[in-house]
Amino acid sequence: MMKKLLEDFKYLTYVIFHPFDGFYEVRFRGKGNITLGAIILVLFGLLNIISYQYTGFIMNDNPQFAMNSITTFIFGIFPYILFCISNWSVTAIFEGSGKFGDIFTVVTYALFPKLILDVIVVILSNVVTAEEATILTAISAFGTIYFAFLVFAGLCVAHEYTAGTNVAMIIATFVAMIIIIFLAVLYITLIQKVVSFGYAFSAEFMKRW
Amino acid sequence: MTKRIISLTVLVLLCFTFVTAYAEHTSDSSYIYDYWGSANESLNAFELSTVINSDNIEGVSIKSVDDVYYHNGQIFIADSLSNAVFVLDEDYNLVKQIKIIRDTEGEIVVDEDTNKQAILSAPEGVYANDRYLYIADTGNNRIFVLDINAVDENGEHTYPMNLVINKPENMVGSTEFTPSKITVDNADRIFVVVKNSTEGIIELNTDGSFSRFYGVNSPTVSLIDFFWRSIASKEQREQMSKIYAPAFANVQTDSDGFVYAVTTDTASEEMAFRFNAKGENVLRKFGYSEILGDLPSGTAAEGDATKSTFTDVAVTDYGVYALLDTSMNRVFLYNFDGNLLTVFGGKGDTKGKINTPSSICWMGNKLIVGDSKLACAFVFTPTDFGSLVLDAEEKYFNGDFDGAADLNQKIVNMNANYDHAYVSIGKNLLMQDNYADAMYNFRLGNDKTYYSTAFAGYRNLLIQKYFWIFAIVFIAFVVWVLWTEVSYSKKQKKLEEL
Repeated sequence: MMKKLLEDFKYLTYVIFHPFDGFYEVRFRGKGNITLGAIILVLFGLLNIISYQYTGFIMNDNPQFAMNSITTFIFGIFPYILFCISNWSVTAIFEGSGKFGDIFTVVTYALFPKLILDVIVVILSNVVTAEEATILTAISAFGTIYFAFLVFAGLCVAHEYTAGTNVAMIIATFVAMIIIIFLAVLYITLIQKVVSFGYAFSAEFMKRW
Repeated sequence: MTKRIISLTVLVLLCFTFVTAYAEHTSDSSYIYDYWGSANESLNAFELSTVINSDNIEGVSIKSVDDVYYHNGQIFIADSLSNAVFVLDEDYNLVKQIKIIRDTEGEIVVDEDTNKQAILSAPEGVYANDRYLYIADTGNNRIFVLDINAVDENGEHTYPMNLVINKPENMVGSTEFTPSKITVDNADRIFVVVKNSTEGIIELNTDGSFSRFYGVNSPTVSLIDFFWRSIASKEQREQMSKIYAPAFANVQTDSDGFVYAVTTDTASEEMAFRFNAKGENVLRKFGYSEILGDLPSGTAAEGDATKSTFTDVAVTDYGVYALLDTSMNRVFLYNFDGNLLTVFGGKGDTKGKINTPSSICWMGNKLIVGDSKLACAFVFTPTDFGSLVLDAEEKYFNGDFDGAADLNQKIVNMNANYDHAYVSIGKNLLMQDNYADAMYNFRLGNDKTYYSTAFAGYRNLLIQKYFWIFAIVFIAFVVWVLWTEVSYSKKQKKLEEL
């Protein structure tokens, strides 16, 4: 188990520099590892907490007195999981061949360089002045752009899409994300209404009898 | 048992501890906005000491206080309901009640055109400098310039007329000449505010001729309004309500000849202005927030968040200015850089509150706030904390940074929420190259720019101190590179020999 994990991690380092070849092997030759992906995602969530607290004062705009590590963790990883879910739901309709596990592996593997760069940024942010902070912002931005590129490449391979279709699918994915959030909010609000009605009803009931 | 006895003794002793009260005449609490825009508790900096009204001063009946001004030992109160300007001395005794304007011989001035005696009618504004007393005779659409130093044989002030300014013949624009508030800069240019004028402040020359409209106040236009206007036809556009430039409520000159102006119009983008000679707003905004009084995001101490509207402004020689707010009847004190110093006052009829604020002026370190409905002027005296704050600002403005830092240290010992004092202390430490302490203070004051400067110095010192580590690492790196090169070429040579 551990050995397999280490082996797949070694292959991950190959994937991030050779995304098309690498993701092909991951998708069709079983060199991917969902457990490894999940570990990266969890580490990314933890990094969100660490960066909230330990980014250097000059670059840190977070109100530390209002920190909530659990919320930070959830809001850090939630967008990626949501992206996986909605991409899966969209591509399942439009002849994408990737399974949910494949999409999840692609997204989490693509997070790896961003994870490393962000760790570097958090460490270096403690030893820079305001003028040098722009360099770190650039590094962090590069991490995000590279993440987007890796996801794009990975999804192309995983779904066996052409680039044009893939762009359309990613746009559709974002629309689906908005719809999912809308429905979730709607659902939560309605449930709250029902619960508060039930509560008021039972309270009234108990006061009268 | 012994534990009990000890704790009981401690309890009894605690009851008799004497805590120094920094504001002994007030029960009010104050607040201040921090870097995050939230209102934190602060010490009260001003407390009510005297009330100037008809009951407290012999021989006057003040019916309304529309403007107060203090200059050189004299307090001037414009009363639009009893059509008079009252002159009081520093101990609040009546010096003179100006209702009728007389000339230097003591004769009543008669208007040449209308053949009427010069009697004040609803004066709303008053201003004084070393030579003249200016009265805005709003009801008669004119301005009187009186000689402030003239005395009769008994040594009493007579205030004879020097000049009367009627509507200047060369005045342009659609604004009516009904002067409401008035101020004069150190070159004797006269700035006149007309209520609800959308054209700006009227600037007059020394002789009373019209010079120009001064200062433009831009209104806020929302994006939605802009969209509808852009697609509307010409006829439709004419039917839409016009967006006018917000009018100014009051003006005041500072010692450098800049003109401070305020507005009560909520449609205005900015609520306080400091105009240069070109009429541009050069108010310094280096504080934690914009100069808006109460912040819309922050919940102020009493749980309200209405936009502050300012009806008057008072400026000290050292750049501290007070803005008088009419929406919550508070007074906001800012320093020259735009840091909020303190907030006091509030709506109400109880002691220390203001009912209908109309005007504000400095009397030394005291503030006089006029209340038009209660027909009185409140004199607010700085508390121990307030005096320290004002002294610190004065020293800082005049370049005594060490003195200011000492006072600021005392201030933060009293009031740890007073964030901008930490920045002041930090700046002084930074000038002394005491980087570590400066960083600590900038961090407390949440000032990232200065923190960065201090950190750069601190980092340089560290690098100098531990230079040998960097040197060793660098040399080791060079050696390693050379060594790999050499061994590589040796290998190549061996391969070639084979």
